[in-house]
Amino acid sequence: MKSSILTVTYALSAIAVGLAAETQTVDFSRDIRPILSSRCFNCHGPDGASRKAGLRLDHRDNAIELEAIVPGDPELSYLIERIITNDPDDRMPPKGAPLSAEEIETFRAWIDTGAHYEQHWAYVKPDRPKPPKIKPVDWHQSNPIDHFIQRRLTEHGLQPSPPAEPAVLIRRLSLDLIGLPPTIEAVAAFERDPSEVNYEAFIEHLLDSPKFGEKWALHWLDLARYADSNGYQHDDLRSMWPYRDWVIRALNADLPFDQFTIEQLAGDLLPNPTREQLIATGFHRNVPTNFSGGTKVEEVRANVLHDRVSTTGQVWLGMTMECCQCHDHKFDPIPQTDYYQLYAYFNQAVPEVAQKGKAMFKKLFVGADLPVVASPEDGARVMEIIEQMTLEKAALEKAKPWALAEQPGWEKEFLASGRGESIPWERFPWNLRGGYQMLKIPAEKRSDNEKRNVEALLFYDHPFTGPYEKALDMLKDTRDTLAPRTMIMKDQEDYVPTNLFIRGDYTSPGAPMKPGVPSVLHPLDPEYPMNRLGLAQWLVDAENPLTARVTVNRFWAEIFGQGIVSTPEDFGYQSPHPTHPDLLDWLALEFVEGGWSMKQLIKTIVMSSTYRQTAAVSSAKIAKDPSNQWLGRGPRFRLPAELIRDNLLAISGQLSDKFGGPAVYPPQPAGLWKEISGADDTFYPTSDGEDRHRRGLYTFLRRGNPNPMVLNFDGSNRSACVTKRDRSNTPVQALNLLNDPIYVDAAREFEAWIERVPGNDQTRVISAFRRALARRPSQSEVAALIAIYQKHGNWFSVAQVLLNLDETITKS
Amino acid sequence: MTTDHLIPARRQFLRNGTLGIGSLALSHLLQEEVKASATSKTYVMPHAPKAKRVIFLHMVGGPSQMDTFDPKPALDKWDGKSLPSELTRGQKFAFITPEARAIKSPYKFAPRGESGLVMSELFPNLARVADDLTLIRSMQTNEINHGSGELFLHTGHGRLGRPTFGAWASYGLGTENEDLPSYVVLKDQHPNAGPAAWSSGFLPSKHQGVQFRTGTKPLFYLDNPAGVSRSQRGDVIDTIGKLNSLAFNRYHDPEIQTRIAQYELAYRMQTSVPELADLKGEPDHILKLYGLDGTGPGGDFAKNCLLARRLVERGVRFVQVFNKGWDHHQSIYTALPRSAQKVDQACAALLTDLKRRGLLDDTLVIWGGEFGRTPMVQEHNAGSGAKTPPGRDHHKECFSILMAGGGVKGGVTYGKTDEFGFGVAENPVHVHDFHATCLHLLGIDHEQLTHRHQGRDFRLTDVHGHVVRDILL
Repeated sequence: MKSSILTVTYALSAIAVGLAAETQTVDFSRDIRPILSSRCFNCHGPDGASRKAGLRLDHRDNAIELEAIVPGDPELSYLIERIITNDPDDRMPPKGAPLSAEEIETFRAWIDTGAHYEQHWAYVKPDRPKPPKIKPVDWHQSNPIDHFIQRRLTEHGLQPSPPAEPAVLIRRLSLDLIGLPPTIEAVAAFERDPSEVNYEAFIEHLLDSPKFGEKWALHWLDLARYADSNGYQHDDLRSMWPYRDWVIRALNADLPFDQFTIEQLAGDLLPNPTREQLIATGFHRNVPTNFSGGTKVEEVRANVLHDRVSTTGQVWLGMTMECCQCHDHKFDPIPQTDYYQLYAYFNQAVPEVAQKGKAMFKKLFVGADLPVVASPEDGARVMEIIEQMTLEKAALEKAKPWALAEQPGWEKEFLASGRGESIPWERFPWNLRGGYQMLKIPAEKRSDNEKRNVEALLFYDHPFTGPYEKALDMLKDTRDTLAPRTMIMKDQEDYVPTNLFIRGDYTSPGAPMKPGVPSVLHPLDPEYPMNRLGLAQWLVDAENPLTARVTVNRFWAEIFGQGIVSTPEDFGYQSPHPTHPDLLDWLALEFVEGGWSMKQLIKTIVMSSTYRQTAAVSSAKIAKDPSNQWLGRGPRFRLPAELIRDNLLAISGQLSDKFGGPAVYPPQPAGLWKEISGADDTFYPTSDGEDRHRRGLYTFLRRGNPNPMVLNFDGSNRSACVTKRDRSNTPVQALNLLNDPIYVDAAREFEAWIERVPGNDQTRVISAFRRALARRPSQSEVAALIAIYQKHGNWFSVAQVLLNLDETITKS
Repeated sequence: MTTDHLIPARRQFLRNGTLGIGSLALSHLLQEEVKASATSKTYVMPHAPKAKRVIFLHMVGGPSQMDTFDPKPALDKWDGKSLPSELTRGQKFAFITPEARAIKSPYKFAPRGESGLVMSELFPNLARVADDLTLIRSMQTNEINHGSGELFLHTGHGRLGRPTFGAWASYGLGTENEDLPSYVVLKDQHPNAGPAAWSSGFLPSKHQGVQFRTGTKPLFYLDNPAGVSRSQRGDVIDTIGKLNSLAFNRYHDPEIQTRIAQYELAYRMQTSVPELADLKGEPDHILKLYGLDGTGPGGDFAKNCLLARRLVERGVRFVQVFNKGWDHHQSIYTALPRSAQKVDQACAALLTDLKRRGLLDDTLVIWGGEFGRTPMVQEHNAGSGAKTPPGRDHHKECFSILMAGGGVKGGVTYGKTDEFGFGVAENPVHVHDFHATCLHLLGIDHEQLTHRHQGRDFRLTDVHGHVVRDILL
């Protein structure tokens, strides 16, 4: 990134970590704009509606015109006068603490040297930075990443750490690439030959594993807010698993990220889209949808579209645009009109829900969908069913006139019989018991609609036609179970006009808006179509300064625990300055020039010495950089919920390697689905056999009441796009791993495994330890485990201990 | 703003820990504390708090204000007629039309207590504690549906994803008892919004509400597996601790120390939580007070009220109680009195009990729904259109809530609605104002309690909220 470094020097205490005073120059992006943005822009920034005194500190010309800033003369600048005054009525900013002495000095220095503004770094296309030439610290120099990292380490008086021991390194690599621990054999092989060649071969092996996609999909599904139910009241179930499987397959095939983007945002608009490309568009159908009766259809639509704009902004642009629904962005240069231009792209889509009848408890889904089957066998079965249905339908049509001939008599008999009590009313299009009432209206007074409804009831109930109707119902149920319909994106044929919503209120339309992209970024290529496809192409356009940076930053954060920009969803004015801006740019350009290969990006990162450092360092070293932002040691942090599950089941030997398909229902505490308000689906169909032990990403995710373990370990209910999960550390997590029947069962299986290990107690303990943690145990570790084995006389306690260690659920 | 609530946690472990932490680890912990307190910003209270904790009794569904706490004699005259169209035009309703006819309240209202606070005959027990109540009749919200209305009441926003009031309280104030969660949720049935109604949103997830289920096993996974005794479990925890300490010696990662402490706490919670949830130890006169001795309506709500007292007594910061069954689209004649009868005695008992123990002064108790109901009748089923006994539809323009203790005045009525009970005539209190006021009582300036997310500082009150000073002591 370019930054015009000014030449004045001053003491910058904010950066000083263990350094008394460092000579630094004022950098507008790093030093000035963050203060302006967080303390001044609220009243003197981009949002016209809340601007005070007509002063804009985000516009140099305006600030100079109003003499807030007199370049070269801090003492004549009102800005300085107002921030240094002791008069509380005059002092700026009016709320919160006054600016610190250092901040004031920074402003003085900046004005003194001309008060130069520059475009925010993230909105300027990166230049390819040269990796700095640094005196090598013997081993810590294997690829360019290390040069960037080591320069910062040196600046902060830190040293890199030596490589992790082979067993620990190979476990870290395996957890990062496939989300599972390595086998003891793989560990032993790498210990015998921890060469560069062997390390790279192991990386290639993991990248080729089908489990790679299962691990990395987890992260993407958080962004895509993937779930298996609608959310809100009722929280009906949906079949979006084909989309989930598409993500896994796309990652395994290393679909280039630009294509990965285009297919998910606009696969339906590609020429002759394949089924897979249509399924990919499930990305934006994953949005939670409110079906409760009193909700207005237009309100649901606006909420769904707002979510799509907001998610797109966070995932691809690192732009947080939610506040632009109602007004111009307070901090970032995104006017409200930009927001509704993006909204217009999504507004072309067919509506999500519709109201049938005057008032209903529930809305109906009306968006586009696609039938899918989990296996070729299911596909063949569905074809058979469809044939059978054709036959039943023909027979039904033949029988209908016979039933109609008996209608008057049937009506009387039906009303008298009380059979109405046992009719499954929900199968009829008019829903509920209302249909019953129509029979009481004299036949000649019925509307056409009512006539049709009564006939539908006749056909269902009359012995001439009823058996066919019922057979068709059953066949349809089976067909829908075997070939559920997954939701895909579709645009309406006719142009849908978009209006800005005044104050974000969908009932107050303002100026008409056309599709368009944020004005602060590169313009749209006129060749691009004016639809979602054009938007997707613009996002992955070579001119886009954000998409590649935002993407590599998230991959970096997955591996190192935090991004180079620590707010993955926000690269705006308010975001913290990147810890390694030139590295971010280097990675972004490598990524794009390497054909947007996600596997290559991961490989580049894990091949670095930075990645291979040990995390086992002294307290003194940790104290110098507690959050490890300068990366003077290897990453060490707790695994996410789903990977904890996968690891414990892998250690116990229970983990199924079955790929994809409908979500599964591993055991969970009873009654959780019954708690969901207004839900029709209250029965949790606990899986049998292998499906109890599938990987965590296949567990059914019910938004209204997710599996407790997922929430206990900071997983998301996927009600909104999640770019970064917490990593809490709570007693409820301990209870979960110690007492949840799933992990008790895992400990029993692990116990049985330990018993089968040949040799004495000591060799058993070492094997079990290696299986859980890859590395060899120390003498004291062995002694502690043997002690509890001897005291309890069984291996169950040892198994439980090993499954509950901090190190077992942590990437070290 | 960041607060490191683990600091007191660590102290607590060192004091109470029944299982040993090595001396080396101990000195490390102390060092960590010193460092953490030097570098982390903690919330500085702008004023002394009046309330230290909150019990929020949410009557899910939206109680009818005209039949409970906001008498509208004018509706007697308008009964059976449509309201003036300038009032109802352009208003959103869930199921009725603006032309729906008004319906008068079948219930008698009278002044109660020395203060003369006016409420209907549906709450004879609450009437006895009228002098402890602040009644706000001018509440307003933005939402007319349960799920989004509940979210608005708890998060100040009608859609999924924001932190709830309880999470903000936990985030801002931390906890007074490290052996229990700071934010506990009790319910007879799920509210419509589900766990989103006690979510931590974008705040750290440790601030999410922890659901205590009714009965002596309020948390999942409390029991040891079959065949594992408490002492064996103690050995397992001890061995986990030993190995984790050895790992600490390798990595020096403070998370490992926290993990050791959390396993020890889990071990203590296995006995302390069932003990806490077991109401059998309560004396007869208390059970009688709450109607749990067989003489009153009893039920999960009454148990939850008593449990709420036991929780705040032990330092839990925020107890959220949900009572479902106030969505009276049908029958304000028969269904509404049943709902009131189910909660009346327990609510009054809770206030009485807290007061006797000297806890009411610094415990804020809130009673109310996510919105109010229309002065107009709903007499058709929302699905089929079939005729039903008269009820009332959802209404966001005005509703009533009660507050007690924790620094609010007693026997006070605040705000006025118009003659129909359709809109607010005087002193509107929007949900944002209500939040600002509750936070104020907790010693928190609602504009200062913020969390940086997606590039901006979010707060419970969004960009709104005024403290309602007239109801403060």
